[in-house]
Amino acid sequence: MFKGINWLCLLVALALQVVVTAPTHAARPLVVGMELAYPPFEMTDANGKPDGVSVQLAKELGKALGRPVEIKNMSFDGLIPALKTGKIDLIISSMTATEERAKSIDFSDPYLTTGLCLLVNSQVRGATIADFDQPGRTIAVKKGTTGHIYAASHIKQASLLVLDKEAAAVLEVVQGKADAFIYDQMSTYQNYQRNKNTTRPVLKPFQTESWAIGIRKGNDELKAKINRFLADFRRSGGFSKLGDRYLKEEKEAFKLLGFPFFL
Amino acid sequence: MRLKLTNLVKRYHGLTALDGISLELSGMGSIVMIGPSGGGKSTLMRVLAGLELPDQGRVEVDGEPLPSHEEHLVRYRRGIGTVFQAFNLFPHLTALENVTLPLVQAHGQREGEAQEYAMELLRRFQLEVHAHKMPMELSGGQQQRVAIVRAIAIKPRFLLFDEPTSALDPEMTAEVLDLIAELKVEGRELILVTHNMGFARRVADHCLFLSGGQVLESGTAERLFNAPQTPELQGFLSRVLKY
Amino acid sequence: MKSCWFDVFFARRRGTKEVLPSYGPALGVLLAVLLLTLIFSFAFSRLQYGWNWSAVYVYRHKFITGWLVTLAISAASLVASLVIGLLAALAQKASFLPLRYLGKLYIEIIRGTPLLVQILVFFYVVADAFGIGNRYLVGVLTLALFAGAYISEIVRAGIESVGESQLESARAIGLTRGQTYRFVIFPQVVRRILPPLAGQFASLIKDSSLLSIIAVNEFTLNAQEVNAFTYSTMESYLPLAVGYLALTLPISLLSKYLEEKYRYAT
Repeated sequence: MFKGINWLCLLVALALQVVVTAPTHAARPLVVGMELAYPPFEMTDANGKPDGVSVQLAKELGKALGRPVEIKNMSFDGLIPALKTGKIDLIISSMTATEERAKSIDFSDPYLTTGLCLLVNSQVRGATIADFDQPGRTIAVKKGTTGHIYAASHIKQASLLVLDKEAAAVLEVVQGKADAFIYDQMSTYQNYQRNKNTTRPVLKPFQTESWAIGIRKGNDELKAKINRFLADFRRSGGFSKLGDRYLKEEKEAFKLLGFPFFL
Repeated sequence: MRLKLTNLVKRYHGLTALDGISLELSGMGSIVMIGPSGGGKSTLMRVLAGLELPDQGRVEVDGEPLPSHEEHLVRYRRGIGTVFQAFNLFPHLTALENVTLPLVQAHGQREGEAQEYAMELLRRFQLEVHAHKMPMELSGGQQQRVAIVRAIAIKPRFLLFDEPTSALDPEMTAEVLDLIAELKVEGRELILVTHNMGFARRVADHCLFLSGGQVLESGTAERLFNAPQTPELQGFLSRVLKY
Repeated sequence: MKSCWFDVFFARRRGTKEVLPSYGPALGVLLAVLLLTLIFSFAFSRLQYGWNWSAVYVYRHKFITGWLVTLAISAASLVASLVIGLLAALAQKASFLPLRYLGKLYIEIIRGTPLLVQILVFFYVVADAFGIGNRYLVGVLTLALFAGAYISEIVRAGIESVGESQLESARAIGLTRGQTYRFVIFPQVVRRILPPLAGQFASLIKDSSLLSIIAVNEFTLNAQEVNAFTYSTMESYLPLAVGYLALTLPISLLSKYLEEKYRYAT
């Protein structure tokens, strides 16, 4: 009789195993790569957990696809190689969809429109990018961003400083080692807010760009699903809610300045 | 050489190495010091070599007191030749360079002159084949003999030998002692510390027995070896001459 | 003893000496390289990586410029670090005590903090306070200070390894302190510290890559930029590795040669 109960327990355990693993076996985690150094889109909260517009977007996408989401933090210029080699499944990291990048990976429909603009040292004159592309002037960019790519092909006379981190580039402008820093509108605005004495923003974009989700080539089904999700999410006001939650101040400031809000 | 020590005291880390030595010798060609380890022989040698300053007392060599200022001491050291038990030669210089270094740097000779003179000396003592070898390539006995040549090349007032053969095997010991005996015959003045009793007897004009930081006996080698007066010397001789 | 064909792969012991078969070393190196190539080919084949060398070839002048800048920075830092290291080692023997302890403090702090932190602090804080804006100058100085601390310890160990008895000998023959340093200590110290010094120099060359964080236009930064433009990571970083090897290998070989040449018993 003792033996009988043993067998029964074993059977129950095995059955439970199957039951428990079945759903997770069907839904592999969705690994999303981003650089958690770009508040409020990609950042970490006080407890060190990923948070921000992109993180929430990723979670909503996961819900729609029926897969648990795993956020992987890595440096921005490592995202595309990681996607190509299969270390991550998607890139949601405020990445601009460019032609060059589209040669290596696929992009979803754009979900946000922004533009390249300038954070300028307050003692330096200049209103347009042309004013800064002069001999003797120095322009800072962050390595691997569209600002960097733009500068490499368009800046002919000024000297270029390629920095690894946004904070370093801002410091260069603050300390006067660089005249301007090419970056996106929202971050430029935020950096100006933090350095009101030493910098001023030139927020009119000289190149507009759109952010999209990065997908490995050859996954057209996934791409279609993601695009469907993005359309639904916008229709249901999901993006608007994210803007209110994370970018309230910027939304208002941009309304005052007359720039269309990008999200 | 006239040697006068007056109440010489030297202490290291609380230990008294020289305990008030007083001594007066003159006209001695060669002085040999014997005694147990730690008895003060090496310390006395170092003081005479100008490498240590005594804590108390006076040392007079040929009527002149030993200098206490470093600059004068340097000049004093340049006037005497010293040979230690081991590691006399600099390993990165050839035998010839080891001999010429003091000649050129300490005595201001020209490189060419110094080399000629050094080669001459090396030849005299059958060492010229080793002139361009590194110390590493020489046997212990050859190294010590080159060290002796270096010591005499500077034409010193007198020579100091601190147990020059203690680190050598019997055959090499013999070749070095032969050289020292030759120097004695030439009439050079020397002070020698040795454990080699037979050699001490042969070469010493005067013999000193140091023990416990004091000169317990002083006299000719004959007298000390045949008629030791203090129990310490008697004990020492019976141990040393046993084998 | 019957000799078999596979004897060529093994070293033999004869008493206390080792005997290598003729062609043994050459064959050994060949096989080792072959094995490594096999492992890497296998790894890369599994990667399903789309190689795109032409994209990187377009940027070849960036690699060359970067390599030359790294070479220049390394050379300048090398020389400066030797001077600083020597001075620091001597300072520790100075009779002027504040100088001695300044030296000790410098060494402890520099060796105890990461180079990355030192670069950021020196450039954005210290140099900025003194109004020095040239990042190449500051970069070279920072590297020199960094390596100098390690070199001073190497020199100090080298000086102390020259036996007491030799210093005694030098004194006994009437050499002054200065003469002793010049003719006895330093010739031997130089020969003894060559191996660790070469190691330090090789590290310096590799550490210079950290200057990329203050936008010094050196080799690593240039390779990273090419990667950013072309998304061809392997094709950007493999030449980087080869380029650094091209700088460090000669130093390692030179060090081995000098070590052999100055081998003598101490």
